[in-house]
Amino acid sequence: MSDFHNRSQTSARRSDYVWQYEYYDDEEPVSFEGLKAHRYSIVIGFWVGLAVFVIFMFFVLTLLTKTGAPHQDNPDSAEKRHRPGSCLVDIDGHQDENDKAFSRPLLAGSRSYFNFYINEEDKGHGKQKVEEKRAGKHTGARAEQGTFNRNRGVSSSGMDEMEEDIEEAGVHQQLTGLIEQSKTDRECTFLSHFNIPNFVNLDHSSTLGEDDLLYEPSVILERQSKCHDAHFDIH
Amino acid sequence: MNSSILNQSHCPEVVVPNPVFFTIGAVSFAENFLVVVAVIRNRNLHLPMYCFICSLAAFHAIASLTKTLENLMIVFADVGHLNKKGSSETTLDDAIDSLLCMSFLGSFFSILAIAVDRYITIFHALRYHNIMTMQRTGAILGIIWTVCGGLGVLMILFFDFKLIMICFVILFFISLVIICSLYVYMFMLARIHARKIAALPVGGRNNHHQQRWGSNMRGAQTVTILFGTLVVCWSPFFFHLVIIMVCPMNPYCECYRSLFQLHVALLTSHALFDPAIYAFRIAELRHTLRKMLLCSDWKLCS
Repeated sequence: MSDFHNRSQTSARRSDYVWQYEYYDDEEPVSFEGLKAHRYSIVIGFWVGLAVFVIFMFFVLTLLTKTGAPHQDNPDSAEKRHRPGSCLVDIDGHQDENDKAFSRPLLAGSRSYFNFYINEEDKGHGKQKVEEKRAGKHTGARAEQGTFNRNRGVSSSGMDEMEEDIEEAGVHQQLTGLIEQSKTDRECTFLSHFNIPNFVNLDHSSTLGEDDLLYEPSVILERQSKCHDAHFDIH
Repeated sequence: MNSSILNQSHCPEVVVPNPVFFTIGAVSFAENFLVVVAVIRNRNLHLPMYCFICSLAAFHAIASLTKTLENLMIVFADVGHLNKKGSSETTLDDAIDSLLCMSFLGSFFSILAIAVDRYITIFHALRYHNIMTMQRTGAILGIIWTVCGGLGVLMILFFDFKLIMICFVILFFISLVIICSLYVYMFMLARIHARKIAALPVGGRNNHHQQRWGSNMRGAQTVTILFGTLVVCWSPFFFHLVIIMVCPMNPYCECYRSLFQLHVALLTSHALFDPAIYAFRIAELRHTLRKMLLCSDWKLCS
C-alpha cells in the first residue's frame, strides 16, 4: 500500500488510479488499533491449514497402501520363481531401447491384448479355460480390440507415474535376470514367462468394477506386436 | 492520501520484483510452447489424452505471455511512457485481464478434463475408445475454449458484481473436490490392483513386500504432488477473493491482502510446474522434445 502512495506522489500528472489493484480501498483506511493476535495470523493460519491438508492427504494415501490383508506366500516351485508378480514393464528403465518402438505408430495392426493372457497359476483347473479364452480371443476379439488397444495403450502411458509406479518395482528384479539374452529374445522370453493376470472381465459387463483393467502400458503392446510372430506357442 | 491515519504497524504490501515475474513468465511460456509444438508435430500424440495436455499447455502459454505483457505495461507505466488513465490503456488492460482470466479458467478446466479422461481410461477401459473419440475430444476442447473465453470477458466486464466472484470461487471449490475425488478413487483402484498382483505366487516375500510398499508409496506421492501443486498454487488467490468479499475492513484480512502479488506469482508459477507434472512424464513427448531440441533436421534424427 505504501508503494502506491509513493508512486502517486512522485509524479504530479499521475492520479490515484492503481493499475491493477483497483479494489484496494484507500479512502477507508483500516485501523490497526488493538489487535489481539499477530497481524499475520490469517496468513499463517491459512498456510498451516494448507500444509496440514496436503500432508494429511499424503498420509491417508500411504495408510491406504498399508491397510489390507498381507499377501499369502505360496511355497512355489523353482519353476515359478522367476515369474514376476506384476506384469507391467518398467518403461523408464528401457527407454532407449523403446525409442524406436515409440517412434512407430503404436500398435500397427490389430493385436489383441488378450493374446497374452497367460495365467499359469490356474494351470490345475483353468488350463482348458485359458486355451478356450485364447482361441476365442484370437478370432473374435482381435479386430475389435485393435483400435481399442491403440488408444488405450497410448492414453495409458499418460498415466505413467500413477499406475506404472505401482508395478515397476515388482518387475525390476525380473528384468535384470534377463539382461544377458538378446533384445528381442529377452522380450519374447520375458513375455512368454509372464504371469499376467486377467484384468478384463470378458463378459463385457456395462459397469466395470475394481477387478477390471487398470491400464496397459504401450511398451507391453509394442513388445507383443514384435514377439507375436516369434513366440506364439506359450507352452 | 492521509498517510498519517494509517498506523505504522500496518501490513506493507509485499512486492514481488518484476524480474521474478519476467523469469517465471519466460520459462513457463517456453516450456508450454514446446509442449504444444511437440504434441502438434508428433502424430503419435494425436490422441484424446494428449490433446487435453496440449490444451492445458496452450492455456498456460497464453497465461504466462499475458502476465509478462501486463508486467511490461506496468513497468512502462511506472517509468512514464504510458498514461494510466488513457482509454486505450484501460481497454488494453481490460483485454489483458480477460485473457488472463480466460487462461486461468481454461487451465483449470483442462486439468479437470485430464482427470476425467484418466478416470474413464481406468474405469471404463473397454469402452474408452467409444466414449472418448477424437471428435468428442475436439468438441469438448471447443466448448472449454469458448466457455472460458466468454467467462473471461464476462468476469472482467462485471467484476464489480460480487456474484461473479462468488460463482468463480464456488466453481473453483467444486472442481477441486471433483479432481481430488477422481484421483483418490483412481489411486484406490491402483492399490487394490497392486494387492491382487501381490497375491499371486511369487518367490521372495520380503523383497516383494518392500517393492509393493515402495511402488504404492510412489503412487501416493504422485497423487499428492499432482493435487498438492494445484491446491497450493490456486487456493491462496481464491482465498484472497473470498477475503475481499467477506472482510474488506478487517485488519487481519488486510494483512492477508497485502500479499496479493505473492499469490499472483504463485498462480503464474503453476504454469511452470504443470508441464513437469503432466507433459514431461509422457515418454513419447519427452522423446519428441529431445528430437526437436537436439536435432536441427527433423528427418535426420528419426
